[in-house]
Amino acid sequence: MTSIDANIVIWLNGLSGNFAAFDNLMRIVASDYLMPLVFSLGMLGLWFSGKNPAQRIRYQLSTLMGISALSIANIVVWIFNITVERPRPFVEYGDQLTLLFYPPTDPSFPANPVAVGFAAATAAWTINRKFGLWLYAAAALFGFSRLYAGVFYPTDIVGGALVGIAIYVFTTYLRRFLEPLITSFVRFIRGLSAA
Amino acid sequence: MNTDPGVVRDLFAAHYFLFAFLTSLGTIQIAVSNAGTRGLWLTPNATLTRWLGIAFIITAIAIFFSQPLWVDGPWAAGSVEADSLTRDWGKASWEEVAGARNVNDIHGGLDGVKQTGWFSLAAVTAFAVSAIAGTLSIRILNTVQPKSGDDQDPDVPDGLAGLANRSYLSNQPESWRNFHAEFGELWHKGIREAESWSLIKSIWGRSSK
Repeated sequence: MTSIDANIVIWLNGLSGNFAAFDNLMRIVASDYLMPLVFSLGMLGLWFSGKNPAQRIRYQLSTLMGISALSIANIVVWIFNITVERPRPFVEYGDQLTLLFYPPTDPSFPANPVAVGFAAATAAWTINRKFGLWLYAAAALFGFSRLYAGVFYPTDIVGGALVGIAIYVFTTYLRRFLEPLITSFVRFIRGLSAA
Repeated sequence: MNTDPGVVRDLFAAHYFLFAFLTSLGTIQIAVSNAGTRGLWLTPNATLTRWLGIAFIITAIAIFFSQPLWVDGPWAAGSVEADSLTRDWGKASWEEVAGARNVNDIHGGLDGVKQTGWFSLAAVTAFAVSAIAGTLSIRILNTVQPKSGDDQDPDVPDGLAGLANRSYLSNQPESWRNFHAEFGELWHKGIREAESWSLIKSIWGRSSK
């Protein structure tokens, strides 16, 4: 007896093997290196993108919040991991799945890479809707690739997305708790001609 | 994989640093060309700088994911699709290359903390390269004239705004001087205007009154 969650991952992963080019694309997208770098580059790009002083400080504060949210999201996901301890799909349904990715050893819920991606995308979305939507799409694609590869359940992806968004919102409140430290830090970086 | 994970990690770190450096350089170039921050442009022309940035990013991705084809590593003759434990040291075939980089961090892949460290170093290096190239471009090619000859003018922009019309070396003294001049007032104003429940206000608030 399998749940709807498991049926979806078994069905999606069952599509692999039909189109080698698509499978290879998913292997690259699912990589630990490409999408996390895209999110980091998104933050880096925003830092330098402001066209006037007001826009620049807004972009840079949001970038700092985004970077902080990425770090906090990792901690929150780790707490969920040790509390929920949901096994990975390939552990429970290994005979029905063809893994396209190495078998991770940490628990499944919520999806850490998706939480990180959605935290970064939300930071971008708050200051630039169009760019934020592109990052949301990248984060969703990252989640889909891991689902297709057979290492996450759909609810892990949804849980990861919600954690990422919630953590960004929490971080914006945390910023007010730490003011004027954050604004002063940006002013210090401006003193180094980098902000 | 019978290789020491430390050896694999060193290889991944070197490859990842190059990847992160080139993509960071590309991203900075695209951003500063759009924002008009000439002091960080690699070339005197905005359009050329932007296209150069795009080229850096595409080249970096192509190099990083094709390296297993021509560099020996932990990606040969094993279940490259899923298992990073049964692979041999060597080069990957075309069929294996897409999954070759998928190596678990317990087998030598880079975990999130290490990636963060290498990315930060790469981004700072990319900024330094941009600043040096921008300085050479402005000073040697004389592409931009200073906006104001009077460095004591308080209206002369500093930080990234100052780099719109100056090289990094010309801009830095102004930026640092303004930081020194403004920081105390900025800090005390920030303490006064912070939320009453601000941790920083509760620590420093009394002493700043």
